Amino acid sequence: MPTRQRATQPDGATQPDGATQPAHAARTSQAARASQAATAKAQRQRPPEQYRSDDDPRIMLDREVGADLFEPIPPYPVRTEREAEFYTRGDGEMFLNVGPHHPATHGVLRLVLKLSGEQVVDVDPVLGYLHRGVEKICENSDYYHVIDQVDPLEYVSSLFQEWAAVLAFEQLMDVEVPPRAEYIRVLTSELLRVSSHTLFMGFLALDLGGLAPILYSFIERDEIVEMLAALTGARMLFNYFRIGGVNGDLNHEFLSRLGDWMSRAAKQTEANTGLLNENEIFVRRARGVGILDREMALRFGVTGGNLRASGVPFDVRRAHPYSVYPQLDFNVPTRLEGDSLARYLIRMDEVRESIRIIDQCLHNMPDGPVMAKLPRLLRPRPGRAWGAVEGPRGMLGVYAISDGSDQPFRFRIHDPSFLNLAVVPYLLPGNLLADTMAIVSSLDPVLGGIDK
Amino acid sequence: MAVGDRDPRGGKAARAAGEAAGSRLAPLAPGDLTAPIVVPNTLWQATNPLAYDGGRPTEITHLREFGQTEAGRRDDLRWGALQIVPTKADYILDLIRANSLWPLLSGLACCAFEMMSGATSKFDMDRWGMFPFRASPRQSDVLIVAGTLTTKMSGPLLRLWEQMPEPKWCVALGDCTVSGGRYKRSYSTVQGIDRIMPVDVYIPGCPPRPEGLIYGMLQLGQLVKDRRGHWDEREIGPTVPDKI
Repeated sequence: MPTRQRATQPDGATQPDGATQPAHAARTSQAARASQAATAKAQRQRPPEQYRSDDDPRIMLDREVGADLFEPIPPYPVRTEREAEFYTRGDGEMFLNVGPHHPATHGVLRLVLKLSGEQVVDVDPVLGYLHRGVEKICENSDYYHVIDQVDPLEYVSSLFQEWAAVLAFEQLMDVEVPPRAEYIRVLTSELLRVSSHTLFMGFLALDLGGLAPILYSFIERDEIVEMLAALTGARMLFNYFRIGGVNGDLNHEFLSRLGDWMSRAAKQTEANTGLLNENEIFVRRARGVGILDREMALRFGVTGGNLRASGVPFDVRRAHPYSVYPQLDFNVPTRLEGDSLARYLIRMDEVRESIRIIDQCLHNMPDGPVMAKLPRLLRPRPGRAWGAVEGPRGMLGVYAISDGSDQPFRFRIHDPSFLNLAVVPYLLPGNLLADTMAIVSSLDPVLGGIDK
Repeated sequence: MAVGDRDPRGGKAARAAGEAAGSRLAPLAPGDLTAPIVVPNTLWQATNPLAYDGGRPTEITHLREFGQTEAGRRDDLRWGALQIVPTKADYILDLIRANSLWPLLSGLACCAFEMMSGATSKFDMDRWGMFPFRASPRQSDVLIVAGTLTTKMSGPLLRLWEQMPEPKWCVALGDCTVSGGRYKRSYSTVQGIDRIMPVDVYIPGCPPRPEGLIYGMLQLGQLVKDRRGHWDEREIGPTVPDKI
């Protein structure tokens, strides 16, 4: 059982007179400090070892002294057998703490890795560093305000959460959405899917050591969020969908920016993917790494591009059609490899499909109102509803229970990133430390959605 | 008083009164939302007791208390016995620092994307010398707190702030870090990072545009010039007074 020995043990062991003092006494005593400095200096000046062998008693001694560096501190007293097993260090193993502040963990994810040399033996993801209590806030908000409150969950693709919430509420209230509003929803959401997937490409390359793709990714992303800002007034947290439609019709600036972007979107996508598809370093680091097989993906509830990269052609837009997707022509790209490269290629294929969908939306956009006629005060009947959309990371669902008041009684957010991240403890062991980020990043987690 | 001890919904009596009145939210006792959040730094301790100049006294658990002691004002790490030098030298050095502010790459939530957007192609903060987003706190001058700060993350963030070498500055980016913003009534967020660390520039917005961040950083540069030679007189602890 691991205990907090690191604070007391080294201090007591290095007392020259043999008297064991508690750590705080040693820290305040000048004489003890000076003698410790002398001991540390003597240890540093020891001649280097000529060879390394597990049988050598000196080496074993050395390892025990240095072992304190790698002794993990569990975030709390261990509670389960799994934690006790994880935080017990085997022979030759060490712990490495990644995060919560780490440039490659896509936010504030913390991974405690158990390493044997360069190889990952076990991993313990620690979540909750971005838990903001969104569900509870939503249950204390009016139905109107919920749409704003779910925006910062997956902050790179805010409209999808709004859409899921709005779908559930419209089922509760039996609201019919005008067709033009449905087309606008599809159009703006697919734009945001392009933005999210392009950012994914940049961050995946950044985690593998390439700086250039992220600069191109942000060019695309800034184009898209600026045109959405012309439509909605915000760059990230749009608050655009409404129960029964959308807030405001398409305006001239949005359409002109969209036209500019569409004229070069397909070509620019090919150029961006060409940065990585033909990069030998990238392909060799991503291919065959973190293979997620079909059974495990289905067992863990992985959805979205991660599931389609493992050979399951599941897409909510096709399996449980909503909105006007049945009238649109698009493919569901699927691959069989299940590795990091496949997950990347799937998303790039989805970008191409999204551009096709946007093109069809612009051509088939009907005229008419963008909001249904609704009473000013919304009070749905008591009941429960489930609304799910295909977000950039998978099936994003909202389960809302109404008790007849103007606030939802229960508002449950089913976030795909959380389930996608659940396979990390099964994907990482056996891989090299350097591949850790290639795997985690290819699953495309967004911590705002995971921690809610 | 530890993090978990704070009761966000008032005491038992307040809760009972709220239930009797039939309201969905229990009324708050005065000072509940504004109680200082004390973040004891117990997660990380130096293995080597000689590190960090022997460590700071263990009875200090809050930066506010640390700021009231003389320990935080000591500058002998950099200058030793020649502590008289920095006052004059910093008068010149701060002019250099103001034009080359290296931020720490620490994104917490949504605002981090606007920060990265400000650093990449379109906005390109590098034009004002703010580009090299360092991944290590020991190499950076400015901590841009980008995104919602939760109580669980406040310990690690405070640790980052303490690891940055002086002189250092802090920028609060976004409504959540300025005052709590849309999570003002949440049970798990810190209502403004000035409850746990000093803040030099506040940039409101949810999230602010990258231009807002660039403007704030330019203001910070001006602030560095205005305060030059006096950085050791700044607040070390939180800038929010105790009883607000």
